Amino acid sequence: MCWMCDEFGDPEHGNGVWYLNPRNYARNMYKLRAPGKGFQGAEVGLETGARSGPSQMDMLNAIENNDHAEFHRITDIMQSRGQGSQIVALEDADRVLELSSPIGLIACICRKAARAIDERNEMEYTCMGMGVGMLKWERWPERYKGGCAFVSVDEAKEWNHEMDRRGFVHILMLFGAPFIGGFCQCDYPDCGALRNAVDFGIGALKGHYVAMVDYDKCNGCGICAQRCQWGALKFEVTSEKANIDQFKCYGCGLCQTGCPRGAIRLVPRVEVPAVAEVWT
Amino acid sequence: MTYPLPMGRKFPKITIDLEKCTVPFLCKKCLQICPEAILHVTRVMSKEKRLEEMDPRIDGNYVLFASRPDKCTVCNLCIDVCPVDAIKIEVPELVRVKPKVQGEQWGQ
Repeated sequence: MCWMCDEFGDPEHGNGVWYLNPRNYARNMYKLRAPGKGFQGAEVGLETGARSGPSQMDMLNAIENNDHAEFHRITDIMQSRGQGSQIVALEDADRVLELSSPIGLIACICRKAARAIDERNEMEYTCMGMGVGMLKWERWPERYKGGCAFVSVDEAKEWNHEMDRRGFVHILMLFGAPFIGGFCQCDYPDCGALRNAVDFGIGALKGHYVAMVDYDKCNGCGICAQRCQWGALKFEVTSEKANIDQFKCYGCGLCQTGCPRGAIRLVPRVEVPAVAEVWT
Repeated sequence: MTYPLPMGRKFPKITIDLEKCTVPFLCKKCLQICPEAILHVTRVMSKEKRLEEMDPRIDGNYVLFASRPDKCTVCNLCIDVCPVDAIKIEVPELVRVKPKVQGEQWGQ
């Protein structure tokens, strides 16, 4: 189990996985912050300079200056107090959607920044806000650039499955953990969280599963290889079947949902000893 | 890290002439062609206008900057595609990485 599960999980609810046990983390949503103090995680800056604290540019500068101490200081802050995120498989994502209210579809800020894609209506939205954070829509609608479309749980699930069909990774956003504030649909390299996870190994917690191939069922069609965003799954020429590197696998389950023959299954990470504690 | 980024490596210096590049959010040619997605577009933040929706057609509302120069491969696609010739990339002095032990396998 990850450190979030140690803190917020409960073996009797949701298999001990923290995000399926809102009883232990939900009250963090309503915590008032002290006047003049930023929210938890505010120490970490974004590259746009919107927050104080070390930013990604500072980290790159440390690499360029060959400053090991500064580099480790910044990555430690980003790892422990950054925005944080958790990769979830499709089934778990549906269960999280059942737990949260209200749910609103919003525009993706990463795609807007990286590829200048302007999402304007509910047919285009690729990001989702959930929980109490969305209640500020009533008072400050101008905070939602591009607008917001509230949906029911069933509509949210349908949207989620459509995103899965298109091939996006599902990531729960923990805004200065620990509570679930958003639900992103990401791909490499547009998404900031996924980029940091893949390039630097910071920011995102891996999912609670790893994917495994059933070699009897796999016929080597290669559809799963198109869907892996992590560089973990490839078509192995020797055996003419899919091959998954368990150490690189983030457990997003896209290969599983994309496989037409049901040849890939998700195994709980704790059952694979060597990667049981590999979370970044 | 999943790609070779040794400590001390010098990144390409990417400078964007903001007098020439005024409407990057509308133009978006370089943003969408970059294979490594190293360019970002962001709003010009001022405290009073922070909440306002900004029209991308108005000059200077959005600025372009290189947020991930470490991944720039200097393929120059963005320079070729830029209609106003606003992007410049300076290549740092390249250092050839040699193996530390040389010739030992031949017993020299």
